[in-house]
Amino acid sequence: MKKAMTCLALGGVVLVAGGAWFVNRVVYSPLADAPLALSPALIEKGEYVARLGDCVACHSVAGNPPFSGGLEMATPMGSIFATNITPDKRSGIGNYSLDDFDRAVRQGVAADGHRLYPAMPYPSFSKFSDDDVKALYAFFMKGVTPADVPNKQSEIPWPFNMRWPLALWNAAFADSDPYQAKPGQDEQWNRGAYIVQGPGHCGSCHTPRSITMNEKALDERNANYLSGALIDGWYAPSLRQDPNTGLGRWSEPEIVQYLKTGRNVHSVVTGSMTEAFNNSTQYMSDDDLGAIAHYLASLPGNGKDGPPWTPSPAPVAWSSPGAKTYLAKCSSCHGQDGRGQGQWIPPLAGASSSMVSESSTGINATLNGSDRVIASGLPDAYRMPPYRNQLTDQEIADALTFVRSSWGNQGNAVEANEVRTLRDKTDPASPDPIILHMR
Amino acid sequence: MELKINGSTHQVDAAPETPLLWLIREDLGLTGTKFGCGLAQCGACTVMVDGMAVRSCVTPVEGVVGREIRTIESIESDALGQRVVAAWVKHQVAQCGYCQSGQVMAATALLQRTPRPTDAEIAAAMTNLCRCGTYNAIKTAIHELAAG
Amino acid sequence: MMDSEHASVRDNLFPDNKPVNISRRKFLLASAGIMAGALVISFGIPIQPARAAQMPKPFVPGTRVPAFLEIRPDNTARLLSPFIEGGQGIFTALAQIIGEELDLDPAQFVVENAPPGDDYKVMEKGGRFTGGSNSVRSSYTTMRKLGAAGRLMLMQAAANEWKVPVQQLTTEPGKVIHQPSGRSATYGELATAAVALPVPDTDAVALRDPAQFRWIGKPVQRIDVRDKSTGKAMYTIDARVENMLYAAVQHAPRLGLEVGSLRNEAHVRQIKGVHAVEWLSGAVAVVADRWWIAKRAVEALQVDWLEPGPQSTARYMSAEFSTEAFVKHLGELPGEGETAETKGDVGSAISGAGKTVSAVYHTQNLNHAQLEPPSALARFDDAGNLEVWLPNQAPDLFLADIARQTGLDPSRIKLHSPLLGGFFGRHFLYPNASPYPQAIQLAKAVGRPVKVIWSREEEFLRDVLRPLAVVRFRGALDAQGTPVAIEAISVTEGPTEGIANKHGAQLDPTALEGLTGKRYDIPHKRIAQLYQQTHVALGYWRSVGNSINDFLYEAFLDELADTGQVDPYEMRLKLLRGNDRLTHLLQEVAALSGGWKRGPFTAEDGSRRARGVAMASPFGTETAVIAEVSIEHGKVRVHDIWQAIDPGSIVNPAIVDAQVNSAVALGLSQTLVEQAVYKNGMPVARNYDLYRILPPDLMAKVHVKVIESGAKMGGIGEPPLPAVAPAVANAVSHLTGQRIRSMPLSTYTFDT
Repeated sequence: MKKAMTCLALGGVVLVAGGAWFVNRVVYSPLADAPLALSPALIEKGEYVARLGDCVACHSVAGNPPFSGGLEMATPMGSIFATNITPDKRSGIGNYSLDDFDRAVRQGVAADGHRLYPAMPYPSFSKFSDDDVKALYAFFMKGVTPADVPNKQSEIPWPFNMRWPLALWNAAFADSDPYQAKPGQDEQWNRGAYIVQGPGHCGSCHTPRSITMNEKALDERNANYLSGALIDGWYAPSLRQDPNTGLGRWSEPEIVQYLKTGRNVHSVVTGSMTEAFNNSTQYMSDDDLGAIAHYLASLPGNGKDGPPWTPSPAPVAWSSPGAKTYLAKCSSCHGQDGRGQGQWIPPLAGASSSMVSESSTGINATLNGSDRVIASGLPDAYRMPPYRNQLTDQEIADALTFVRSSWGNQGNAVEANEVRTLRDKTDPASPDPIILHMR
Repeated sequence: MELKINGSTHQVDAAPETPLLWLIREDLGLTGTKFGCGLAQCGACTVMVDGMAVRSCVTPVEGVVGREIRTIESIESDALGQRVVAAWVKHQVAQCGYCQSGQVMAATALLQRTPRPTDAEIAAAMTNLCRCGTYNAIKTAIHELAAG
Repeated sequence: MMDSEHASVRDNLFPDNKPVNISRRKFLLASAGIMAGALVISFGIPIQPARAAQMPKPFVPGTRVPAFLEIRPDNTARLLSPFIEGGQGIFTALAQIIGEELDLDPAQFVVENAPPGDDYKVMEKGGRFTGGSNSVRSSYTTMRKLGAAGRLMLMQAAANEWKVPVQQLTTEPGKVIHQPSGRSATYGELATAAVALPVPDTDAVALRDPAQFRWIGKPVQRIDVRDKSTGKAMYTIDARVENMLYAAVQHAPRLGLEVGSLRNEAHVRQIKGVHAVEWLSGAVAVVADRWWIAKRAVEALQVDWLEPGPQSTARYMSAEFSTEAFVKHLGELPGEGETAETKGDVGSAISGAGKTVSAVYHTQNLNHAQLEPPSALARFDDAGNLEVWLPNQAPDLFLADIARQTGLDPSRIKLHSPLLGGFFGRHFLYPNASPYPQAIQLAKAVGRPVKVIWSREEEFLRDVLRPLAVVRFRGALDAQGTPVAIEAISVTEGPTEGIANKHGAQLDPTALEGLTGKRYDIPHKRIAQLYQQTHVALGYWRSVGNSINDFLYEAFLDELADTGQVDPYEMRLKLLRGNDRLTHLLQEVAALSGGWKRGPFTAEDGSRRARGVAMASPFGTETAVIAEVSIEHGKVRVHDIWQAIDPGSIVNPAIVDAQVNSAVALGLSQTLVEQAVYKNGMPVARNYDLYRILPPDLMAKVHVKVIESGAKMGGIGEPPLPAVAPAVANAVSHLTGQRIRSMPLSTYTFDT
């Protein structure tokens, strides 16, 4: 979800001002004047909430002090940079009161009143409970070390750099109430829904966006919610019960295992999910992971997948143009049967990335390999290498077409120009494990 | 875990994701199988598992328990392996020799499954890298073997 | 006849002379083969000081037969080679050369790398290293004399035994014969007596008439191919000793950084199988039961690295360094450079010429990318004596370095130099580029033998690179289109000055060779270097400066030909007028290719093709190459390489052929696909995934013509490489109309 919402189409929301009072008003925080003792227990709880929210993924870059900002997010109008959220009084948020902090996290309004770009996922964070916001505040004030690293100026030019239209955008698209437990669902389900919709902001990547770049849904009431979306050159698959393009064939324990260890028999974390796993999901408690799995398992599929994938008895088209490349470059690890190797090397047969119509994940992984998966402090045994220097656009397209039409997979063909487009926009993954520290 | 290598059985104690390569080399002392890249890019670690050429540096050991593993050390234990080695000697393939265990294993696996491979099948099977550039000699040796 | 101190390879690899935990590890198969052969009990007698005193004075390296040769009862010979085998075939060549004079079939030889020591400093100009394509040509006569002296000793032993005059004796391969009595004895039977005899004056021994050679000059089979085809050949990475542990390292991401602190040392120490976590110079290490465990654990270490202080003069890679920006910088650097070679008056010739050409060319950095990752094994005995196994091209230099680093007297250090799993210049003494200092430090720290292996990713972080150069050319043509002036200013840092980390008082010849030393008769020329230090650590790469500079020069020469509207082959012939050797060479390569035709033409398969020609004079040898290319799916396809090579005279035509094939492969590799690129101070490629080396399907057919002109013997391992790139580039330029001024060609796009 790093670089989420990078395509914010500000132009679409440049509207006639609906009243200066509205866009410039000081938004209300229910936590104004709330008394708060920043106890060690609260700081520790806040650190856990920061893990749930994966704050570090955007607000830190490797090699710099934790939370000192700097991650570049490309938008069509220019880059913006995540800010310093250490308690440094000059460059960070050291002067923030609890209600300043609350307004930033849950409503996207900085202490000086300017509107944050919704790259900050406040439409999801608005669901944070008051208690979690307090804990988060305690952690950022007392658990994080101040770092005087100045913020980088956004490169978005005028008039698109005007922030006030965001207030209108927020009014249209962002919820403003904390999560309310849903009656009729049990506690585990509600806990799962809270994490997924709120701190976990899973929808930032997995929910499709409309033309105005807002997520089409923010909870399970709408079938678009977590139904899969393209983000940063990867396809974040459906987390609904679609049997082939979603989690329909995953048991709840398998979902837990995936979020806890980064892998299960169906898949290994890839693309942006690697960062979410490395920095966030593996740190979640077993109870919380169980709750997430329980909630996700309750989201029905959209019915478009057809029957669940099974290994196909049909012979593999070894004479197809992509088969030669697959045999030479892919089969050593993923197998001639496409089944991968246990949980260590993921299968391509039956994988959602092989079945979904969006082919970005396959293209991106082939061009660039994948970031190292670091579980419990130990980097993965096997990494996917980048093939951008070995294979042409056509060879990659052919190999992926082969994968997507073999072993019962029913993905559509991949075109060379799709590979070309992603090749130019992306860089190969680093072979080094990258760890973002929170302290 | 129990591994069947070159016709005999060995007990190894290792994490399930441990690459077969390192158990062969370090636990069993069969150093003919080489480490080159650790990323399935070069083929120096090629062994045979149930008759198929496999890059042992990317083969988690848990997946080969109970299967027939064959390394270069047993290459001359059958007629085909002897023929392949003889062709390698006749055509003086090796230079530094480091990749040649893998090349011989890849060639033997190919010929075992496909005794008369076509040029395309040879090209598809013989993708191991050789920094000394012995490719032409390898090609000559395999074509001769493929011709019977 | 052998110093018992160096008893056998098996002893070298298993110094206790017993297999390690053989029941548990079951590596019998691995240690069979050449090792089994060497198990034959050695009867060599240690050279005693008294006997050493009988040696001809003063001591001359390469003369003490017992230091080199052991004849065994089974009539095989074990030879200790001054030169290391890394694929180039030197062990076989020495068996041929010595066998020829000793009168023993080369197939009877077992050859190993000799330990450090003055005996083995046999090169013409003194010293001992394997490189520069020097081995055979620098020791040919010395090694022949050594073989001849050994033969005399065996004959003398027979004469003594049979009480007959030595003049009545003759030899056949492997035995001494007394024709009058019909008696004969094998070398093996005579060896014990022979080894006790004084070594004859090697300057006085008669050498065999070359017309009578049985093995020199013949395509004798390599003595190591069988072992290398059956997994029995042992490299450093295969070395094992009792009680050994394995280590993996994580290097600082950039050269010059040091360990500041470890965040999670305690966590990593607790990983099952981990013995120790250690800080090293510019690296951290984990020592473990198994290398795989060490490798994963060391990757898990979270290290805070420290930038070097302002006082540091060590080579340093800055976080801002990028290859692309650096090449741009070199291109913009003002200056005329320091002249390395000059003739006539280039300035006037160019300003007065009707037609002039100027162009800027550049080449890329390259990794060695040998298949065997670097490793080293170190162990101390109870007395503190040190034993080290490491891949190297110069044992004495490495021994001296180990002595300097450890403070141990060299006599307390035993150095083993196993086969090299790839050569290419990787194993010289380069700072920070070899794991033996790490192995020594770790063995000391944990009190057990330690083998360090660098993962491929760590190797690509510390390998020294072939330099790159930006070269500014100017040339002038006369009315007939013949070049009359050429100037080349190379903006570069040479490998030798890179290793020394300073620009010396004299220019680095390895920076410019291939721009200098060209044989063409051009009346005005100036070759110069504009020194500019890079951040990248530099080293020698097969054919060194020639690998860069012949490409640049010969491609620019075609540019001159095209400007002058003359055929590049005819132009070269004209520029070589009066040089019979090279005229002949060029005509031979044309004949080998079926007669010079530049094309473009349509081949039988319907593809459009063209040919290019180029020449080079590297390492005492002369070469000429013709390449035939087409464009396939927008990429260059090289179909055929014809190479005529004149090294003066040769020892083994089959090995020469193999070396030409090998050099062509590396030459094509750098031409078509290879480049090492840095971004943000880091190499972009850390494995063969992003660093491409020539794969089988890009190899060309290779046709070789060896010409033995009788000129002074030149090298073989490197010379066939340099002319490949320009021949290909010239063919591509002609075929596509797109001028090739840089490598690799994968960075160009061509219309199919």
